Amino acid sequence: MSTTADLERLGEGLSAGDTAGTVVGKSPTRIAIQRLRSDRVAVVSASAVLLLVVLALLAPVITSVMDIHATTTDPGAPLPSEVLSYDGFPSVGPPYYPFTWEHPLGLAPQTGVDNLARLLYGLRTSLAVATAATVLSTVIGVSVGLVAGFARGWLDRVISFCIDLFLSFPFILGALALAPIVVSRFSTDLEALARAQVLALVLVLVVFGWMGLARLIRGQVLSLREREFVEAAHVLGLPTRHILFKELLPNLVAPIVVAVSLSLPAYVAAEAGLSYLGIGLTGVPSLGQTINDAVQSFEKYPLYLWAPVVTVMVLVLALNLLGDAIRDAFDPRTRR
Amino acid sequence: MRFRRPVIAVTAVAMLALAACGGSGEPADDNGRAEGVDADKLAATGTGMDAEREGPVKIDGATEGGTVTVLSYAGLNSMDPTEAYYQSTLSILSGLVTRSLTQFAYDEESGEMVLVPDLATDLGTPNEDYTEWEFTIRDGVKWENGEEVTAEDVRYGILRSFDRASFLEGANYSNAYFLDGDEYKGPYKSGKDYAGVEVDGDTLTLKMDRPFPDMPYWGSFPAMGPIPEGQDEPEEYRLHPLSTGPYMFSDYNPEKSLTLVRNPHWDPNTDPARTQYPEQYVFDFQTDSTKIDQILLKDQGEAQTTMTYDNVLAANFRTFQDEHADRLVLGGSPLTTYWAPDYRKVTDKRVRQALAWAYPYRDAALAAGYVEGVTRIWGTNLMPPGMPGRTEYNPLPGHEPGSTDTAKARELLEEADAVGYEIKWLFQNDDPNTVKATDIVVKSLEEAGFEASPVATTIANFSSDREDPDNDDINVRSGGWLSDWPSGGSWCPPVFQSTDLEEEGLGSNYAVFSEPEVDQRIEEISMLPIEEQPAAWNELDEFVATEYFPLFVLGYGGVAMAHGSKIEGFEVDTAAGMPTWKGIWVEQ
Repeated sequence: MSTTADLERLGEGLSAGDTAGTVVGKSPTRIAIQRLRSDRVAVVSASAVLLLVVLALLAPVITSVMDIHATTTDPGAPLPSEVLSYDGFPSVGPPYYPFTWEHPLGLAPQTGVDNLARLLYGLRTSLAVATAATVLSTVIGVSVGLVAGFARGWLDRVISFCIDLFLSFPFILGALALAPIVVSRFSTDLEALARAQVLALVLVLVVFGWMGLARLIRGQVLSLREREFVEAAHVLGLPTRHILFKELLPNLVAPIVVAVSLSLPAYVAAEAGLSYLGIGLTGVPSLGQTINDAVQSFEKYPLYLWAPVVTVMVLVLALNLLGDAIRDAFDPRTRR
Repeated sequence: MRFRRPVIAVTAVAMLALAACGGSGEPADDNGRAEGVDADKLAATGTGMDAEREGPVKIDGATEGGTVTVLSYAGLNSMDPTEAYYQSTLSILSGLVTRSLTQFAYDEESGEMVLVPDLATDLGTPNEDYTEWEFTIRDGVKWENGEEVTAEDVRYGILRSFDRASFLEGANYSNAYFLDGDEYKGPYKSGKDYAGVEVDGDTLTLKMDRPFPDMPYWGSFPAMGPIPEGQDEPEEYRLHPLSTGPYMFSDYNPEKSLTLVRNPHWDPNTDPARTQYPEQYVFDFQTDSTKIDQILLKDQGEAQTTMTYDNVLAANFRTFQDEHADRLVLGGSPLTTYWAPDYRKVTDKRVRQALAWAYPYRDAALAAGYVEGVTRIWGTNLMPPGMPGRTEYNPLPGHEPGSTDTAKARELLEEADAVGYEIKWLFQNDDPNTVKATDIVVKSLEEAGFEASPVATTIANFSSDREDPDNDDINVRSGGWLSDWPSGGSWCPPVFQSTDLEEEGLGSNYAVFSEPEVDQRIEEISMLPIEEQPAAWNELDEFVATEYFPLFVLGYGGVAMAHGSKIEGFEVDTAAGMPTWKGIWVEQ
């Protein structure tokens, strides 16, 4: 028994000169998304990332519901002397007292702020900084790469030289040099300083993070610009802007998506690393800062260290696996 | 004297965490403090003197040999004897390397330091009004190259101590008390022709501009020792000061390491306090504090002969005290930390008092990593407990030391019509402990009705920013002072006496306090007979605090150091808050 749908399909098949099956026109992106959906690792890591993002976004709600505080300056936050023993270790919860639901991850030594609240806000900071840095460095990397690849001659050489220059400049050194400058510039206004530190951190990450993508895009453009459709556009007399953004860019979606998905975890790790070294953020809670703090008391209070370490690990691992899966999905050469 | 130098490396460490107390004990209650603390003797540097003591020193049961490894998170400042004025440089030099006119020896019975002769045969003979001192230099003392140390060498060393330009870090007692000390600028600039120090055979005669009864104490500084003329180029000498003591420099990489080996020409018979048991001392600087604590807690292999003069971290204090009490060394040091509102800017006494009510003593101390009752002890007097003649007073009626009452502070502010008064002070943005404490202080001050504006600086720039008298970004300075010897003359003049801001800057007068009446009283007291001075200094301390209230005390401090299980004879030198190097030996 055949339905109308079958008949239609038959008709399509016939018209395409193929009777074996259905062929529906699909864009590479749609194919990739379909492949992703059936990839179990991708699904699991995507849900982990989603969960962490939701937790980070809901940080203010969770903390106010639980009545926990991420900083000592929070209105309502307990004074250190109210919740700490004489040597700075908490007098509620771990490591010396039993678990309590009021502070599931315990309190931070010295300050007495809640570790869960700090973790949530730290996650927020990490994700915000990493996302901002990724977006900015992608925009810069893509535009520079497009221009360099498309422009022949001196402009390409100049841009390529710049890329090499930035690649050769040591990243940590740049960050180390910038931190004291920012502090002395904004020393009198602490709120401005906190903002400036976030901006400076994003800036450092972007300044030393756009080159990889720029090179990749330039290479792609170099190979694409000799293709027939670009030649055709040239012949038709289309403006360069049109060729760049309408003809070339759509063909670069795959490498861009891959680069973004892989640079996000790199930035999360870099932010934590810089804050750990004390040249990242000081005014706002950050995972790296907490880890740095916790090293001191690891022997007695391992939970204080493990919580942020595991969070960073899960976040970076999930983002990396997701990035890998995306790359596989977009890469036509991947065997399945 | 100055604190151990501030941290340069990124270490999460209680920077100025100096602990106080004597003896060990169990932690008391949950929010309480460590017990067994002898807070009355913090600065009991020992007023004891023993002019008769003679070498050699023998320690019962002590064994020869072994290497002592010393770890610290910070490097050393200048090791030129003339310039050594930090706790660490001062105590390492005079404990192991350089000899001076007098020295301190540890007294086991009292736990205090006793002033005994060193190069001089006694503690000096003053004239009637303490304006002339005579010291006789011992025979048989040799340099590390085998040459005899002469009275001329000592004279040359003392002349060098007048040079404030070549030796910026040095103490200025010679300039302040010696004959024409303000005009004579040391041998490099003014030549060796100076009438204040005269040599006759073995006898050294020191002449003063004004009475200097504390000369024997100043004589214990490495700056009051011999320097070999002609081999003392300051830039090079600080890398290898010529030894007269039991150990000499063998290898020194500033900021990294220092190796001291036995000095074969040191004769124990001439030295009433030092010993030479270990084979060598190896100092390893820039070691992370967390790592130092872990090494000492584990106490394995080489760690057994390792020690540190840094305080153990608050996080490890309880473990040390509960499980390794025998390797934790607690003791006092003559240190007071305080907040000094700029006397020229914060002119209303009530505002300064309100600040003292509003300051969150306990909370800030906890956040900064001090151990309450051990690394921070509450108090009111500028002069810490144990100073001779000290009687407790309270310049803030009704204020319990270490407590905070923001409501009371607000009352005072309202009375002074100064609600919203802006308090601006420096904090080191790259030191996590300071950042934590600063947050707490801001919260408390704002609750009291102040406008709190901490000004961010870095560890490296902190001192210079603070010591700039024209720094308009701040109107409060945090400070600390350690006395050089147990006398009010080592407290009131440096902290309260007005300075020539153009010429010499703030000095250690962080409040920029200046009252002619007080200046005059300081002059008067230093002219008083020596036995009347202690009481007079204390009266002045109280008078300034109750009348002008230029600063308020955050707390006193001491030390909590640790060592491996094979290190013996490690006690606290309460004069400096450092180990008693002179009695250390390694169990073989």
